[in-house]
Parts: sequence; C-alpha cells; structure tokens
Amino acid sequence: MKIAVVQFPGTNCEHETLVAARSAGLSGEIFRWNRPAEELSDFDGYIIPGGFSYQDRLRAGAIASKEPVMESLREEAADGKPIIGICNGFQILVESGLLPGLGGVDVALAQNVMVSKGEIVRRGFYCAWTTLRHEAPPERCSGSFLLKKGDLVRMPLAHAEGNLVTVDEDLMERLNEENQVIFRYCDEGGWVEDEFPVNVNGSLESIAAICNPEGNVLGMMPHPERSSFAWQLPPTDPGKSAGDMGSPGPGRRIFESMKRYIEVRR
Amino acid sequence: MKIIGRKDQEVESSLRSAGLGLTVSEARSIAEVLGRDPTVPELFNYDTMWSEHCSYKSSRATLNEFLHTSGPNVVQGPEEDAGIVAIDDEWCVVIAHESHNHPSQILPNEGAATGIGGIVRDVNCMGAKVVATADPLRFGDPFGEDKNHVRWVAEGVVDGIWQYGNALGVPIIAGDVVFDESFDTNCLVNVVAIGVVKRGEIIKSRAPAGAGEKGYDVIVVGKPTDSSGFGGVTFASEELREEDEEANRGAIQIPDPFLKNVLFKANEALFKLTREEGITIGFKDLGGGGFTCASSEMGASAGYGMDLDLDHLHKASEDLPPEVVACAETQERFMLICPPELTPRALKIYNEDWDLPNVYEGARASVVGKVTTNGRYITRYKGEVTCDVSIEHLTRGIRYSREERPRKISLTEPDIVAPEDLTELLLKVLASPNVSSREHIYRYYDTEVQGNSVIRPGEADAGLIAPVRGEKFGIALSVDSNPFYGRISPYWAGATAVAEAMRNVAAIGAYPATLTDCLNFGNPEKPEAFWEFRECVRGLADAAKALWLKGYEDTPVPIVSGNVSFYNESPEGTVDPSPIIACVGLIDDVRNAVTMNLKKAGNAIYLVGPRFDELGGSEYYRTAYGVTGANAPKVRFDLERSMIYATIDSIAEKLVVSAHDISNGGLGATAAEMALVGKGDLGMELALDSASTEDLSADRLIFSESSGFLLECEGGAEVELEKLLKGYCLAIMKLGKVTGSPEIVMTHQGKKVVQMDLETAKKAWTGGLVEAMR
Amino acid sequence: MKINLRIWLKIPDAEAATVKNTLLRRMGYEDALEGLGKERLWSIEVDDSVADPGDLARRLARELVNENKESYAASVDSIEFEGGYIPVKVGLHIEDGEAVSAQNRLRNRLGFDMVRGVERSVIWKLALKSEKPEKTAEEIAERLLINPHKDFYEIMT
Repeated sequence: MKIAVVQFPGTNCEHETLVAARSAGLSGEIFRWNRPAEELSDFDGYIIPGGFSYQDRLRAGAIASKEPVMESLREEAADGKPIIGICNGFQILVESGLLPGLGGVDVALAQNVMVSKGEIVRRGFYCAWTTLRHEAPPERCSGSFLLKKGDLVRMPLAHAEGNLVTVDEDLMERLNEENQVIFRYCDEGGWVEDEFPVNVNGSLESIAAICNPEGNVLGMMPHPERSSFAWQLPPTDPGKSAGDMGSPGPGRRIFESMKRYIEVRR
Repeated sequence: MKIIGRKDQEVESSLRSAGLGLTVSEARSIAEVLGRDPTVPELFNYDTMWSEHCSYKSSRATLNEFLHTSGPNVVQGPEEDAGIVAIDDEWCVVIAHESHNHPSQILPNEGAATGIGGIVRDVNCMGAKVVATADPLRFGDPFGEDKNHVRWVAEGVVDGIWQYGNALGVPIIAGDVVFDESFDTNCLVNVVAIGVVKRGEIIKSRAPAGAGEKGYDVIVVGKPTDSSGFGGVTFASEELREEDEEANRGAIQIPDPFLKNVLFKANEALFKLTREEGITIGFKDLGGGGFTCASSEMGASAGYGMDLDLDHLHKASEDLPPEVVACAETQERFMLICPPELTPRALKIYNEDWDLPNVYEGARASVVGKVTTNGRYITRYKGEVTCDVSIEHLTRGIRYSREERPRKISLTEPDIVAPEDLTELLLKVLASPNVSSREHIYRYYDTEVQGNSVIRPGEADAGLIAPVRGEKFGIALSVDSNPFYGRISPYWAGATAVAEAMRNVAAIGAYPATLTDCLNFGNPEKPEAFWEFRECVRGLADAAKALWLKGYEDTPVPIVSGNVSFYNESPEGTVDPSPIIACVGLIDDVRNAVTMNLKKAGNAIYLVGPRFDELGGSEYYRTAYGVTGANAPKVRFDLERSMIYATIDSIAEKLVVSAHDISNGGLGATAAEMALVGKGDLGMELALDSASTEDLSADRLIFSESSGFLLECEGGAEVELEKLLKGYCLAIMKLGKVTGSPEIVMTHQGKKVVQMDLETAKKAWTGGLVEAMR
Repeated sequence: MKINLRIWLKIPDAEAATVKNTLLRRMGYEDALEGLGKERLWSIEVDDSVADPGDLARRLARELVNENKESYAASVDSIEFEGGYIPVKVGLHIEDGEAVSAQNRLRNRLGFDMVRGVERSVIWKLALKSEKPEKTAEEIAERLLINPHKDFYEIMT
C-alpha cells in the first residue's frame, strides 16, 4: 500500500507525516507539486500535510487549491481513494471544494478567535495539545475507520486559521445528520464546550475535522503525525514513557485507519 | 574618491556624505595599501568588511584572550558560520547564535523575523538540517514612561518570530524574556538555531581545495538582489539616535520564510546530489555584509581570489549602483562554489525542479564568476572594474585596542523588615512579568513542527528534541542571562549566565555539551562599556572553564559559536550588560529526561544548593521594594559543578522524577512553578530551616536567587539519592514533600510563613505576562 | 467623517505576484489580465468635529503604515481611483478581529479618542482587456479572491 504525501511550496510537515504513515505500516513517498500529475494515479491514497503552502497568501490553501495536482486528486477522490488533509491540507481541501464536498466551496476556515465568557481573549496562531472526540460511527471515514463513536484521541494543533464558518444556515444540520463531522475539540474527559480553551479556535460547534459525503476524504486541523509516537506526548500524559521509541501514540490511529480503509476497499 | 593629498576634514566630509562609516585614518590606510585613491565601491566593501559586525575589531582580542573554543567533542570551533560538536561517532549538532537588536528596535516584526532567517541560514549552509530555534528577548519596562513604545516593540518582535519561524517549519523550543527599563530604547533580540548533520557530510563555508586552479564557478542562489539592508552592518555598529530612525529603516532587510522554506528543500536536494557524486562544494549564507562579505570570505579563507561580474547577478532592478549590489543585505540568498561540471545540474535543481522563478518573482540561481589563484578580489559592473583589491587585506579587517575603565555606580543593600506572612509577596513575585508564565508568548510559536519535540517550553527548564528518527539521543537547549546582575557585577553576570544555562539542561537530565555566547553591550569606544564587556567575558569564560565538560576533568565546556553586539546604546542610556548564553545539552535516551511538574503526593523534596545572602538584582528586591541591591549571586565553582553533575546522575539513575532549577524569584518561585505546571492537584509542604548554613530570615531563604535545584525524589529512593548527593560532597537538605492538597505551605522556625492556594497562584502567575504585553 | 488610508508596498508585493501568477498560469486569464496590483485600505470613522483631518490622517498613518516598506495616500470620505484598472475591494463580512484590536489600540493605548470605528480591507487593482472587464473582475473575485463564507467583495467605480 503506497501513499503519496503531496508537497507544495511552503509545506513543512511532509517528512514527519511520511514517518508517521510508515509507522502504521503504509509505504510511500513525498510527491513534489510540479511532478507530472498523472503519476499520482500510481498511489493508493494521499495525504496533504501541514505547512504554509504559498505562505498562506490570499488566504490559507487558496493558491494551492488551483494547482493542477489538485485536479488529479479530485479524480482520484471520485474513484474512492482516501485523501487526508492535515492542517494546511484541510485548508486546501476546503478551498478546492473537496470538503465538505457538497458541490462548491461550502465553508471557510477563518482566523482563530478565542472566545471566553463572551469576550475575545486572543486571536491568531495557537499551538497546544488538544483532545478530539470521534463523532461518527466506526468505518464512516477513511482516516478514522478504526475509531468508535466517542473515542478520544490526543494530538497537538498549531494554526492561525482553523475556525470553521459558513453562511449556509442548513449546513451544520446536514453535516451532523450525514455524520460528516468526524472530530470535535473536547477536554481530556471528552466534554465538548463551546468556550476557549476547550473550543480552541472558535470553530462552529467545536468542529476539528469533517469528511465528504462518501467518507473517503477527511480534513482535520490537528496534527496526528505529531502524536504518532508515545514519546511525543506531553509530560503529564502517563503514556509518554511507555514502551520503546517505536511505541505508538494516539495519532497513529489515523494512519492505521487509512491503511485499513485501503485494505477493505481492495 | 579623492583621499590622497586631501585634508582630514575634507576626507571626513566626503566619507560621511557618501554614507560610509569608515574613519579618516581607516580610509587613508586603504589608499596607502592600494597605492591610489580607492573607488567608491571599494570603500563600501572595506566599510562592510571592517565594520564591527564583520571584523570584531573591538572584541577579537578579548575573545581570544579568555574563551575556550576547543575541546574533545568539538568538530568545528567558531571559525565559520556555526560551531559543531559531536553527539556520537556519527551525528553532530550544529549551533549558531546571533543578535538582531538594532533592526528590531526600529521595525520589530521584520527585524526579529530576519534575525531568525539569518541564523537558520548559518546552520543550514553547513549541510545541516535545522531542527530547533530559541529566542532570548529583552524589552523595556512595560509599565514605565515608554510603555506604549515598549509594548509595540514587544508585540512586533513576537509576531515577527512566529510569523517567520512557524512558516519556516522549525520548532521554537526555548527562549526567555526579561523586561528591564535599560532596554526601553534598545531592545535585545537574540536568536539561536541548532541543526544536525552527519560528521562526514559537513559542508564548509569556503572555496574547496583546487577551486582556484580549476576555476570553480561562483553561484548565487535565491532572492533577486535589491537595495534592502544596504548599510546594515554599519548600522548595527553604531548607536541609535531617534532622528536617525527614519534613515535607518532603509537598512532593514525584508524576510520571506516561504522562499526560505523552498530554498532549504532545494539545498537538501543539492547536498544529496553532491554526496552521491562525491563532489566537495563550498556553501555560505549571504547575511551581514551581503555579497561582498560572503564572496570575499569564501575566497580568502581558502587562500584564493575572486573574479566576479555583478551584471550576471540576478537583481530586482538594473539601475542599482555597484556598491548597493555588492553590499545590500537582501535576504534569502546563498552562495555556492562548485566545479563547473556540477553547475548545470545545480542550476536545474534551483531553477527548474524547485521552480524558484515561479515561487518568487525574480528569484533564481545565477553563475556570477570564478574562483582565481591571483589573490585579488575583483568585481566588474557595466563594463568597468569596480573593485580590484587584495582579498587578504579586505577580509583581514583591523583590530582596535580599546580603553577600559570600571563603571562607577553606588550600590547599597536595602534595610528591609519583611512581614511575617510572605504569601502576598510571593504572589507579587509570581506575577512579575519576569517570573510569570511565558505561555502567552509560546502559544504563538509552533513548538511541535517536525514532530521531534519531547519537552516543550513551559514543561521544564530546557526544551528537548529527538531530532533523528531511529535514534534515541536527544538535544536539549536553554538560554539565559540576567541583566540585573549585570548592572551590579558584569563578571558575575557572565558567570551566572553560564551556570544557569548549564543547570537548565541538567534539570532535565542532559549534560552540557557546548555553549554559545551572544554578548550585548553599549558603545565599546566608551571605556566603561568596554570594561563591562571584558568583565562579562572573563566571568563566563571562568565559569565554562571551572564547570568542566562531563566525563573530562579540568576540561572547559567549549564555546563554539557566538556573536558580539556593541552599540546597544542611545542618548537615553546603555543596556545593562547582557552576555546571553545558550547551552546545548545531550542525553542518551530521551525517555530518561524529566520535566518539572510534580509527580506524586508523598514524594520527598530535596534542595540542592544552600541559600546565601545574595539578593542583589533579585526579583524580590525589585518587585517588593523597588531596589536593585548590591550583592549579586556568585557562582561557587566547585559547588556548582557538583550540583549540576549530581542532578544529571540522579536523573539518569531514576532517583529523581522531577527537577527545577532555582533562579528568578528564588526557591519560592521554583516550588510554586513545579506545582503550577502540572494539573494543579499536587502541592508542597516545605520546612526552610535547613536551607542555609547562614542565619537567614525566612524572606531571604525564599527569595534568594543563589543557584540550586529542587528535586522530587522517587518514592523509596531517598537513601540512594542522599548517598549520591553525599558522594558529590553536597549537603543533604530534605525540605519536605509533595502533598495531595492544592497549596504551597512553607514553614520557618516552627511558624507558617507561606500558605498559598494554587488557584490564586495560578491567576497571578499566568496573568503577569499577559498584562505586560496587553 | 471617514479617513481612508490606501497603503501599498514599496518593495515587491509577493502576494500580488503569486495571485497574478495563479490567474495567468492556472486559471486561464492570460489573455484577459494585463496587470494586477494590491493595496491595503484602512477606513477609520472619526468624530465629525475633527478640525484638521489631514493632520489626523498623518498621525494615524504613523501607527498603521510601516514606512520602511510601505507608502500611503490619505483621503477623507470618498476614494478617487486613478483609472486604468478595476478596483475590487475585499473584506471580511464576519467579525474582523484585527480591525477590532486596531481600534482598541488606537483608542485605548494610543489616545485617539476621536476614533469611532475601524474597517480593514484589500483593494485588488485588476487591469483587464476583456470585453466586459467588470464582469471578468466579478468572476475573478468569486473564483479566487474571496471565500464567500467569510469575505465580501465590491467592485468600486
């Protein structure tokens, strides 16, 4: 099972993402954006990693979404192959209309706004560990294929624009009904609260990740590759010193899910 | 420019009107060596190369006199862009440390961003992968007369660091911030970068052997040269005056992290190609002094000359004067020297594979000339020879022996009657912008990118990364310097900065492997400032010498990289002497590192390092009484060494489960922080009676900033820990234990002197910095 | 009364270059788009009683314009464009946190008590040679310059 980690100019998480995917048993390589796009079809799945493609010029993800490589990815997505966008990858998938995948550009990932007790207490870039609650049933989505509803997964986030907004009043109902909301930000006990610091960026209904209607395309703001090994965990987490350097962290479940999704689809 | 035969006054006025910083006698000596009047571009080249920034003309003699730059683990000392020490037989850590003070005072965002940009290039050009940065920052008083401006500077600097550093994809894992009124009009923005490289894959910043004989190509890669940063090094070597601010703005460079990110990847591809083909190249960053500095140093350090055609250099516009093309400090550029047979493939990597011209308008790689054997530094532009000088004379620089004179200040210890209950004072110290939690700032920094982070800012005294997948070793990084001690005693400021930076890495269980020094002072032409500089260097060198490299008796911890920043001075005054030290620590297995949060109720707490009556420059004196005092903390070298190595050993033997060094705010702040960084459910109960061999009052025991550690002992390991401490001839000071109640309680002579609940403490401690930067 | 500060870069505008490059190379406007420029626009609502708006504009610019790399032009109430291009204004229709903090900083920290409101936007200057340049400008705005879930655009003529 071979995946491509798609690298745009300004991407900065491709190496650790590939390492994390490999730790879950996937093989793969980094795919430079200006390689012949048709070579993409040789792969079984795709990850668009984090970073600042085109330095977030205009708005995060907007320029990369117009690159020819995205047209090819759209075709692969229509074929049912899994695509996971992490952080900037999520932003690119939103800007290209692949997420939530209802026909056009259906949402925006706006600048973070941290709100507590009705007041803006902070704005912009934020880096911290967070807990995600899995909101969909098992096997709903490629990147969370192995997770049960209610499972908690810890990983860090680091972004300036992850605040999901929409002008479509019916959209949230639709995403909830169709189980397209995959993760919400919650506290360590699994409690979702629409206030900073639990809702870390002001995102609508604390949304951290969504998938397309078919479930093969997933976009998430937090970084599972930075939590794929136990030693990466924060010091207050009892799992940190468990096992050896290869011992899994919670984020590896995302890549293991992707692998399982590819196996089942075959 | 006419110099020969003209009066001093005339020469002076032509130098100034041309915008040159050279003195008349410097200009005359150049004309004498050339045997003719120099051209304007020649004078600018000399101006650049003989500036304080490039030539260390005031500082070199002192640095050579005191600093130990070699050692058994040193792979490369300070002779190139970055220093290198060995991690094991295969891997090395590369480190560089610089200041970007002047630009950041004028344009905080761009100034600070460019600081990071420059330092990561210094590390990358050695062939290394840049794996972490640290940012020591000094700002003025956020509540003083200049508060609006101070906060504007502080906010802009932090924004510049995150906007640049995060996009670049290098985690910021350490740093410190101090607010002090001596920085009101002169902020300090230092930057440290570290990288990893295999020993056999280090790339030198010089023309390779044979380059002259075989006519190697000189290639410039990156952003098109424009006028930005023209005069930058001269600007960094002069005092700041407000009326010059407008003019100085032109000297600031414009950073572009996006282009830098792409350049790094293209460099990686180039390095890979040269390794595969076994081709030796020279590679250097274009930083201070721009094209002139990089090209002349790369040639001269290999004993070669250079013949360069500025017409072939890609530029933002074609009408730039030759001295601007040569000396501008346009960011995001590198210089490559390679055999001609590699050139087409090198150009393809940059111009096609990584598509520089479409990534940034006008960016590319261009061949600009050849390495020669004639020892001349020749540049041509628009059909004329604009410079033809001896490359050795140009790059050798000049030396000044400056006068030194102790600064006269009157220092007194205050008369203090402290209240019996010290809880309120401890809360006040915790809320000081210099002690309070740094969270407000480090949440802006991507501390996780690259996925190597093991210990992040706020979790322990040093950051820790596991930078090579498949390897267990870790690199720890910390920075330190206390300006308030510097004000009292530059010598002890230097020594304590070294000791604390080393304690910081020791507190997580790493051993100090190397140090860097970034020396920030006032105008060295003033004898007092130069004295402060010499005293600091003497102090830090003494400490490095006396604290030893672990495993090697009587062997100094080597100082492999550093930087001197003079002229941090304005008519309003000079900065407090600030020898900022970075320490790289190494640990064999990152899973053995400990953090500072308390682990388990019932565990015993040990103090290492008795308290002394040395509260000069302390947070307590300043926040509680508004005075500086006279007795700055000293470093007792034998004691310090024992403390550091006992702590490292006790962590390695798993006797200690959390550790925190004692510095700003004393033992009181240290204890509170160990409780506050956890989940808030564990507190501490300490009896202070054994904390000193002197008869000290409770407030002095709590707030003295004498060096030391608090260690949390693994349950049941007390006997072994005490044995280990005794083996290092350290006094056993078992102060108390971790409790399951959320409060810090301290007693002295049977009386409760502190009872502080953690919720109140948290509010004070987390609010201090937010308030200062609002 | 509204003080408008139009601000443009003196150094190369990398963002504008990237947007232009994308329109030409990726979105099929190589025949229609002749040139593209960008300005930032601060529109600051101030008390009508301000006596010398020109002087106030200069003082506001000292805080909002980075003169090392930017130049600006100030005007009161209306904005006059030079012609030769279609100005497309793009701003947030959701709350603009940066504008809010700029307003707070100006009023609370820097003492500009007369400031009533602050708006921030970007003016894209599209030089077009298509048959219906306004139509093309609208199309470019909708296809690239905005995300409708947070941004609005306005063709300013």
